Amino acid sequence: MTIDLKPSPARADRDVPAPLTLTRDYSTPDRIYRAGVRISGGGVFLLLVVIGIFLAWSGYPAFQQAGWKFFTRSGFQTLGAHPTFGVLASIVGTVEVAFVAMIVGAPVAIATALFLSEYAPLKTRRSLIAMIDLAAAIPSIIFGLWAVFELQPNVVGFSTWLSHHLAFIPFFKVVSPPLNASIFIAGLVVGIMIVPIVASICREVFSLAPAGEREAALALGASRWQMIRTVVLPFGRGGMVGAVMLGLGRALEETIAVSIILGGSFTVTAHILQKGGSTISQLIAVNFGSGGTLGLHDLLLCGFVLFLLTLVINLAASAIVNRSRSGAGVDL
Amino acid sequence: MTPENTIRTAPHGILVETTSAPASTADGRQDPRPPEPTSPNTATPPTPTPRPRRLPSPIRPSAFGTQDAMILIMAAVSSLCLVWVVFYQLTSLSGGLGFLVCWYIGFVALTWIATAQVIERQVATDRAVAVVVVSAAMLIVAIVVFIVAWVAYKAIPSIHWGSLFTKDQKSFVVTDPNALDHVGVVHAVIGTLEQVLVAVLIGVPFAIATAVYLNEVKGWGVKTVRTVVTAMSGTPSVVAGIFIYSMLILTHVLTYSGFAASLALVVILLPSVTRVVEEVLRVVPSGLREASLALGAPEWRTVWSVVLPTARSGVVTAVLLGIARIVGETAPLLFTAFGSQVVNWRGYFNHDQGALPLVIFSDVRQAQPVLINLAFQAAFVLMSIVLVLFVLARIFSRPKGKNGKRMKPGPNDDDLMARLFVPIPIEQNEENR
Amino acid sequence: MTTTLSSTSPADADHPTPFTGTPELGQPGQVDAHDVCAWFGGRLVLETVDLVMEKSKVTALIGPSGCGKSTFLRIINRMHEVVPGAQLAGSVKLDGVDIYGPGQRAMETRRHIGMVFQKPNPFPAMTIAENVLAGLKFSRVSPADKDDLIEESLTKGGLWNEVKDRLGELGGALSGGQQQRLCIARSLAVKPRVLLMDEPCSALDPTSTLRIEQTIKEIASEVTVVIVTHNMQQAQRVSDYCAFFLAEENQPGRVIEAGKTGTIFGSPTDQRTFDYVNGQFG
Ligand SMILES: Nc1ncnc2c1ncn2[C@@H]1O[C@H](COP(=O)(O)OP(=O)(O)O)[C@@H](O)[C@H]1O
Ligand SMILES: [Mg+2]
Repeated sequence: MTIDLKPSPARADRDVPAPLTLTRDYSTPDRIYRAGVRISGGGVFLLLVVIGIFLAWSGYPAFQQAGWKFFTRSGFQTLGAHPTFGVLASIVGTVEVAFVAMIVGAPVAIATALFLSEYAPLKTRRSLIAMIDLAAAIPSIIFGLWAVFELQPNVVGFSTWLSHHLAFIPFFKVVSPPLNASIFIAGLVVGIMIVPIVASICREVFSLAPAGEREAALALGASRWQMIRTVVLPFGRGGMVGAVMLGLGRALEETIAVSIILGGSFTVTAHILQKGGSTISQLIAVNFGSGGTLGLHDLLLCGFVLFLLTLVINLAASAIVNRSRSGAGVDL
Repeated sequence: MTPENTIRTAPHGILVETTSAPASTADGRQDPRPPEPTSPNTATPPTPTPRPRRLPSPIRPSAFGTQDAMILIMAAVSSLCLVWVVFYQLTSLSGGLGFLVCWYIGFVALTWIATAQVIERQVATDRAVAVVVVSAAMLIVAIVVFIVAWVAYKAIPSIHWGSLFTKDQKSFVVTDPNALDHVGVVHAVIGTLEQVLVAVLIGVPFAIATAVYLNEVKGWGVKTVRTVVTAMSGTPSVVAGIFIYSMLILTHVLTYSGFAASLALVVILLPSVTRVVEEVLRVVPSGLREASLALGAPEWRTVWSVVLPTARSGVVTAVLLGIARIVGETAPLLFTAFGSQVVNWRGYFNHDQGALPLVIFSDVRQAQPVLINLAFQAAFVLMSIVLVLFVLARIFSRPKGKNGKRMKPGPNDDDLMARLFVPIPIEQNEENR
Repeated sequence: MTTTLSSTSPADADHPTPFTGTPELGQPGQVDAHDVCAWFGGRLVLETVDLVMEKSKVTALIGPSGCGKSTFLRIINRMHEVVPGAQLAGSVKLDGVDIYGPGQRAMETRRHIGMVFQKPNPFPAMTIAENVLAGLKFSRVSPADKDDLIEESLTKGGLWNEVKDRLGELGGALSGGQQQRLCIARSLAVKPRVLLMDEPCSALDPTSTLRIEQTIKEIASEVTVVIVTHNMQQAQRVSDYCAFFLAEENQPGRVIEAGKTGTIFGSPTDQRTFDYVNGQFG
C-alpha cells in the first residue's frame, strides 16, 4: 500500500467537523439493570435524607416546648405541668467523654499505626493487623462489660491518685466522691474502642509516604524516628487529622459502653473524675420510654442533634482523609 | 583469596583479572541452581574450570545488641525500684494502674537517659520512641486478647450447657438456689438470629446493588451517593434505632418487634457492606469487563456473570463482616426489639423480642448474681459468634490460587475491615476508568 | 579471584576503631569492598564483588540494568538492610574500618558515606535551606555559621546562583535538575567522606546532566565519588576508574572487569566488556 503524502490544507480553509454524538442504545434488560442500581443508590441517598427529616419532625414538638432553651438547659423532667429539659449537660458530657477518649486513644492509635507501618517485621505484621481489626469487631457491649468489671475497679485507684496529686488542674478536682461511674472512665473505654479505627486509617496513610524521601532521610544519617518525623508524619498529617476526627465521630456516638458505665446526672461539671455526667446517646438510651410523650420527643430531638453533629464531623473528616490520600495534602 | 587465573599487570600498576568470574556458585543453601560450567552465549576467553566456592555467610546487621538489651532491662528495673519508693514509701498511694503508668513513664525516661549517656541522644530518642510505639501496639493486642479470654473465663465455669441453649429467662426465680439450671439465652439467640438474618437478606442485596452502581455506572450521581454512603457509615447506631422507632413504631406502622430491629440493623449494615463490596469490586480487573463487553455481552450480563462472580469471595467476606458488625449492636435494639424474657420466634413481626446484646445490657445491671452470670454467658456466645465470623471472613478474603487453595492475602484485604467500621472515603478518581 | 582497582591495600586495617570521632569527617575516604554478596528474599543477586574505591577519585560502576550496581552501592552505605528480606555478606571497609563490624551504627556510617538517588527526593515539606541542613539536624550538629554552610554546599552542588534569593522556598518548587543538585548539596553539607550516586542524571535533561558532571569533577578532591551510570560517555567524562558489572542469564551479578577508565574503554581485556562499552548489548 502506498501512502500518498499531501500537505493538509491550511487550517483556515478547513471546517472542523462537529464531534460525533454517540448515542448508546441500551437494550431493555440493560435499562432495567441500570435503573435498578440507580434506584438502589438513590435509595441510600433518600434514606439519609429521611433519617434527618424524621428525627427533626418527631423531635420538633420538644423544640416547640423548650425553644432554644433546649440547648442551654439540662435535665429530663418532661412530665408534669412545668417540664424542664435540655441537652446542655449531655452535650458537655459528650464533649468531655470524647475529649478524654481522644487524649487517650489518639496517641495510642497513632503509635500503633506507626508500629504497624514502620516497625513491625513483615512476618508478624499481618497477624498484628488482624488483632487490631478484631479489636474493632468486638461489640461495644462487651467492651462495656469489661470496663465495668475489670477496668473500673483499677481505674478508681488511679483516679484517686490523680485527684490527690493533680487537683490543681480543674478537671482532676473532686468535689464529691465516689470516683466510679465517671466521665473519665467512660472516656477511657471509648478511647480504647477508637484505637483500632484511628490506627487503621493512619496505618494506610503512613504506608503511602513516598519511599524516595524515606530513603533520602535514612541515607543522610537519620534514625528511624527522625525519618518518620521528617517524611512520614508531615506526609501523613492530613490523614492523621482526618483519622482522629473520624475517631472523634465514633467517640461522640458511642452509646452502650458509656451507658453501662456512666452514673447519669444532669449537672454540667468539669470534674470528670467523679461519679456522674451524661452524654447525648446515653441520655437517649437510658431514658427511653420513661418521660411520656414529651420525653419521647425530647429524646428524638437529642438524636437529631447527635445525627447532625456526627454527620458534619464525619463528612469533614472523610474529606480531609481523602485529600490526604490522593496526595493533595502533601503541599503543606 | 589468591587469584588462580592469569593476572597481568595493567598499565599504571593496576592488577586486572583477565578472565571472567567462575560461573558456579556452589552454595546450595542460598542458591540451589546447578552450576553452569560454560556460558554458551558469550565469547569468553578460556573459561577456567568451575571451582566450587562457598559464599561468605550472610551478615546480620543488628540494630539491637546485648548492650541495648541491657540498657532496657536496667531501665525497667530501676524504674520499678524508683516508682516503688516514690509510690509506696514516700506518698503511700495504692492502685495497680497508677503504679503501672508511673513505672512505664519512668521506664521510657530512664531508657532515654541511659541510652543518651551510653550511646548518644539521637539513638536515645530513636530508642525511646521505639519503646513507646511497640508498647502501644502491644497494649492494644493485650487488651483484645485479654477481653476475649476474660469473657470466656467469666462465662464458662458457670455455664449450664443443658439449659443455656434450651431455656429462656421466664422461669427465673430470685430465691431459687439452682436458678442457673432453669435459665438460658435461647430466646436471645433466636431473636438475634432472626433479626440479623432478615437484616442481611434485606440489606445485602441493596448494598451490592449500590456498590455496583458506585463502581460500574458512570454519572453525576455516583459522587453524591458515595459521599452519602460515607457519611451514613458514621451514623450513630442509636440514631438508627430511634429513626426506625420514630418512623415506624411511633406512627403505629409496626410495634416493637424483631422486624423493626432488623430494619434498624439494615440502616447500619447498608452503608458498611456497600463500602466493603465497592472496595472488592474495585479490584476486579477492568480487562475482564472490557473482554465481556467486547464479546457483545450486555452490561447487566457483564456485571452478573463476570464482575460479581470474580469478586465472589470478597462479597462473601463483606457479608460475613457485615454480620459481625451488626450482631453485637445493642443501642438500636433498645428502641425496636425492646427485649423480652421469653422465646418469641413466631411473633417476629409483632412482638417484643430478645437479643443477645439486650440480655447482656439488661441483666448485667441487675443485682442478681445469677443474672450477671447469664449476662456473661450471653457475652460469651456473642463473642464466639463474632470470632467465628471474623475468622471465616479472613479466610474468604483471600482469593483462590491456581491450585484451588486460598492464596496468601494481598495488601488490599487488610483494609476491608476498616471500610466496615470507619467512614473512610473510598478513592474517588476511579470514575473514568 | 580478586578484582582490585589498585594494588595499594588499606594501611590500617588492623585498627577497627569505630569512626565516631570526626577528625576525618570531610576528608575523602577509601572504600574497600571484599567478597560482597547480596540476596533479596533468598535469591542471590550479587556474588563476591571485590572492589577498591580509591580515595579522592571518581569510580564509575557500569553494566546493564539488573546486574546489581544499585545493590552494591546500597551495601556500601548500609541502605541494603533497609529493604525487607534483603541479606548481604562480605566486608566493606571505610579507611580500614569495617562498616558492618560490631558496634557500628548504620546511621553513623551513612553520615560518612552519603548517597544521591536516581530520582531527586528533596523533603517536600522543607525549604531549600532546611533541606541543605537536614543531615546536620539529624546528627544534632549545629554548624558555626549556617548561612556559610548553606552557601558553601549549594555552591558545591552548583545551585547557589540559581537559588540564593529563594532559600525560603519549598524544596519541591525546584525543577528536576535543580532538585537533584539540591540533593547533592544536601549530601555534601554533612561533609561525607564518600558520595555514592545511583544514576543521578538518568531522570534529567542534558543541561542539568552537564552541570551535575561539572559538580562531580569539582567535588572529587574533597570526597570520593562512586557513580552508577548507564551513559558510557558520562562514565568516560567523569570517572577515573571504572568497574563493569554483569549478570549473565540466571546468574547473580559479578564484576567482570575493573580498572582505569581509559583501559576499560580503550583496551578491555574481556570480550564482554568490549561488547558492552561499544554498545553491542545491554
Ligand atoms: N527490593 C528488591 N526486592 C527484590 N529484588 C530486588 C530488589 N531490588 C533489586 N532486586 C533485584 O536485584 C537485582 C539487582 O538489582 P539492582 O541492583 O537494582 O540492579 P541495577 O542497579 O544494576 O540495575 C535485580 O535482579 C533485581 O531484580
Ligand atoms: Mg539501579
